[in-house]
Amino acid sequence: MVMKKLFDHGEPSYEQVNQDVIKSLIETGPKYWMLLATTVGITVVCFIVPWMYQIHMGVGVAGMNRNAVWGTYLSNFIFWIGLSHSGTLLSAVLHITQSDWRKSIYRSAEAMTLFSLMVAATFVMVHVGRLWFIHWSFPIPNPMGLWPNFRSPIMFDVMAITTYLTASSIFIYMGSVPDFAAVRDYSSGLRRRIYTVLSFGWRGTSKEWHTLGWAYTFFAVLVIPLAVSVHSIVSWDFALSTVPGLHQTIFAPYFVCGAIYSGTAGIVTVMYCLRRFLGFERYIGKIHVDYLGKLLIALSMIWTYINIMELFTGWYSGSSAEIEFLKFRLFGFYAPMYWEMILFCAFVPLLMLFKSVRLNWNRMLVISILINIGMLSERFIIVSTSLPRKLLPDSYGFYFPSPAEISITVGSFAMFATLFLIFIKVFPAVSIYEVKETLNPLRRAEKT
Amino acid sequence: MSVLDTIRKYREAGYYKEFDYHWGMTVDLDRCTGCEACVVACQAENNLPIVGESSFAQRREIKWMRIERYWEGEYPNAKLNFIPMFCQQCDEAPCETACPVFATYHNQDGLNTQIYNRCIGTRTCAVYCPYEVRYFNWFTYTWDEPLERQLNPDVSVREKGVMEKCTFCIQRIRQAKDLAKDDDRRKVRDGEVTPACAQSCPTEALVFGDLNDPESRVSKMANDPRGYQVLEEQNTSPSVVYLQKVHGDEEAI
Amino acid sequence: MDITGTFQYEEDAISAAQGLHAAGIKNVSLMSPIPMHAAEKALGLGKSNVRKFTLIGAILGGLGGFSMCVATALVFIMPTGGRAIIALPPYLLITYETTILIGVLSTLVGFFLVAKLPAWKNRPYRVEANVNRFVVAVESPSSNEVKKAEQIIRGAGALGIEQTGGTL
Repeated sequence: MVMKKLFDHGEPSYEQVNQDVIKSLIETGPKYWMLLATTVGITVVCFIVPWMYQIHMGVGVAGMNRNAVWGTYLSNFIFWIGLSHSGTLLSAVLHITQSDWRKSIYRSAEAMTLFSLMVAATFVMVHVGRLWFIHWSFPIPNPMGLWPNFRSPIMFDVMAITTYLTASSIFIYMGSVPDFAAVRDYSSGLRRRIYTVLSFGWRGTSKEWHTLGWAYTFFAVLVIPLAVSVHSIVSWDFALSTVPGLHQTIFAPYFVCGAIYSGTAGIVTVMYCLRRFLGFERYIGKIHVDYLGKLLIALSMIWTYINIMELFTGWYSGSSAEIEFLKFRLFGFYAPMYWEMILFCAFVPLLMLFKSVRLNWNRMLVISILINIGMLSERFIIVSTSLPRKLLPDSYGFYFPSPAEISITVGSFAMFATLFLIFIKVFPAVSIYEVKETLNPLRRAEKT
Repeated sequence: MSVLDTIRKYREAGYYKEFDYHWGMTVDLDRCTGCEACVVACQAENNLPIVGESSFAQRREIKWMRIERYWEGEYPNAKLNFIPMFCQQCDEAPCETACPVFATYHNQDGLNTQIYNRCIGTRTCAVYCPYEVRYFNWFTYTWDEPLERQLNPDVSVREKGVMEKCTFCIQRIRQAKDLAKDDDRRKVRDGEVTPACAQSCPTEALVFGDLNDPESRVSKMANDPRGYQVLEEQNTSPSVVYLQKVHGDEEAI
Repeated sequence: MDITGTFQYEEDAISAAQGLHAAGIKNVSLMSPIPMHAAEKALGLGKSNVRKFTLIGAILGGLGGFSMCVATALVFIMPTGGRAIIALPPYLLITYETTILIGVLSTLVGFFLVAKLPAWKNRPYRVEANVNRFVVAVESPSSNEVKKAEQIIRGAGALGIEQTGGTL
């Protein structure tokens, strides 16, 4: 087996890794501030303001109606949860299998997990009718003596997402502690004081490394089954209902596969931005885009298979409700969106079979964005074509998102971007110490 | 009773079948003329908001009782069938398991209740309900002067973000039970309580009563060979029995 | 006062640390920019105690999660959907999640306890230790140990030795 090169432009030296990464953290140009101001502005205007208006007026501001009581908010929630699925999962799996190529990309991938999870959790809050009582869905001791209903699929969700949010923030934070120490050593003044606290006084003694290594492996081991369970549980919100098109046993693997799929595409997009705007060309190279591309092809095939099976089981059931729903999905108002999704998620990724596409960052960027557009539509279609075609024909309805919903959807991307922009100035976006691990070791034997 | 017995008891599915009452209704489709008097009565009794024209056009009307219309055949031989549709008070209600905060649960009368001030508005119950009889308050609806004076004082008005639904006029059941208690009776007698819809039905298509009592009118009606339950295949075991419309051969008459 | 010695190569630093241990000097720490998996055995670091925290935490989390479900369901008997009050399949899902949640949290606690972090008090540290050098530090040695320690560190091939107050 030919060893793949981790670095396209030759190995950096140890000092250089520190410098390159910390530079991306500390040196902040006006462009960054302008970009941050823009994303914050869009978040406020497109997300916060309509949301506040909706809290004031009621959820009727959105386009949902009686049959389609779930809408874009929920489909976006699934989308963002899905996007969160690759980062931590991939990082944990690759950590356990000791893949070196993980080391320069995992930090940002995990950040993507964390932030898309935060956006997803926000969408739950946007979705509910009475936000001000949402704490009732947490198991908090209360004077009423009334606890949440743990038999409810929504409660599975609450528990799963809380756990996932906690576990993935701990995972990314613990992986960053040695790097916080590196930033601390490099900086002075207030920043130094902040990073001293953030790094817990890390010195890199062998005892600390040893403990971190063990703890980190355990985090990874715990996070993998967790990530798989989270999206399965999200899928059961749907699958446990009896709505044609949602009541499917294949939903759990379908959602998990789709989640990893869109998450991996998201990683490619984020990696592109890191290379392009933070100058990490040296650390994120051909090997990463090549491997991620191959992973995407595999996932797209699984995804396509599950989609075919979903249609097949619906048709094979022979139930008139299922057939009616299938007709609406395949040939109804949202049919163009459905076929767009098939095109973007089942056919476009096949282009990556060609090495010339896979190794070209620009082409991969386009494909990854198309995949995520497809996945966003997939989630929308799941919600908006199933609920208007439930069991009683008299209640057949139609759902189209209102301007508020569209605006909040746009705003959620700005919110994600804002969080990510803050992240790259707080966390070293590339893991310093793990990249160093892949360099020539500082040993006498290897030096000579 | 020991702890283990308690746990064993609560491990059984449907252990609460032995209730004092099992309120139920029969709907005789042969008698239903589709006049919608029940719809109006329900509106008046339960403080249902009038959502306004634009909300109505958006399919956001709130009608705990609605008359579904199904056309059979083509014009000029078209036949119109009415199905009054309201909460079926399922014994195995999909909506109840869905609520994360117990805003909906099965009470000791076999009713599928909705606790308005507990609801946080995830709307999962409405998705899970196969009969689509759960209605969401998209806004806080108000009543123009002097309409607010006709509000029923026994029923709360609901604010935005709350799911609401038919509960067989639970305030009337409550009242009847209180009156029975005043008379030192343990049980409400058949016919002492009638929901607004059944009360207002001119053809007596709706019959309400206790299904636990084999002598009640509703139990007898429910045993009619025409009886069927809507979406029976969903295994929700509804408390409402529909009596099929009899289509005679009209030319032979 | 502490002594720190800076090394260019991993083996030298390890031999210095081992020499100090052999000489019976306490409070020796070896700092490195990257984890030294190969050297862990040489340094006497076997299986970490973190794993006990993880195991105990996960077990407690699982038991706690399940009993939370059962107990809260029994506080108020709220029959839903004709299902049992103590319904196993949904409660096992919650159990699964709390197992992981408490497992992760206790691993975190275990990490802090075992690694003795957070510690912001004055301790010997050299900034190079987080870049590309290995640092062996002896924390507040007694006056007769100082000479011996310096000798061992120099003998192992240190680039430089410093006597410092705690810098971190």
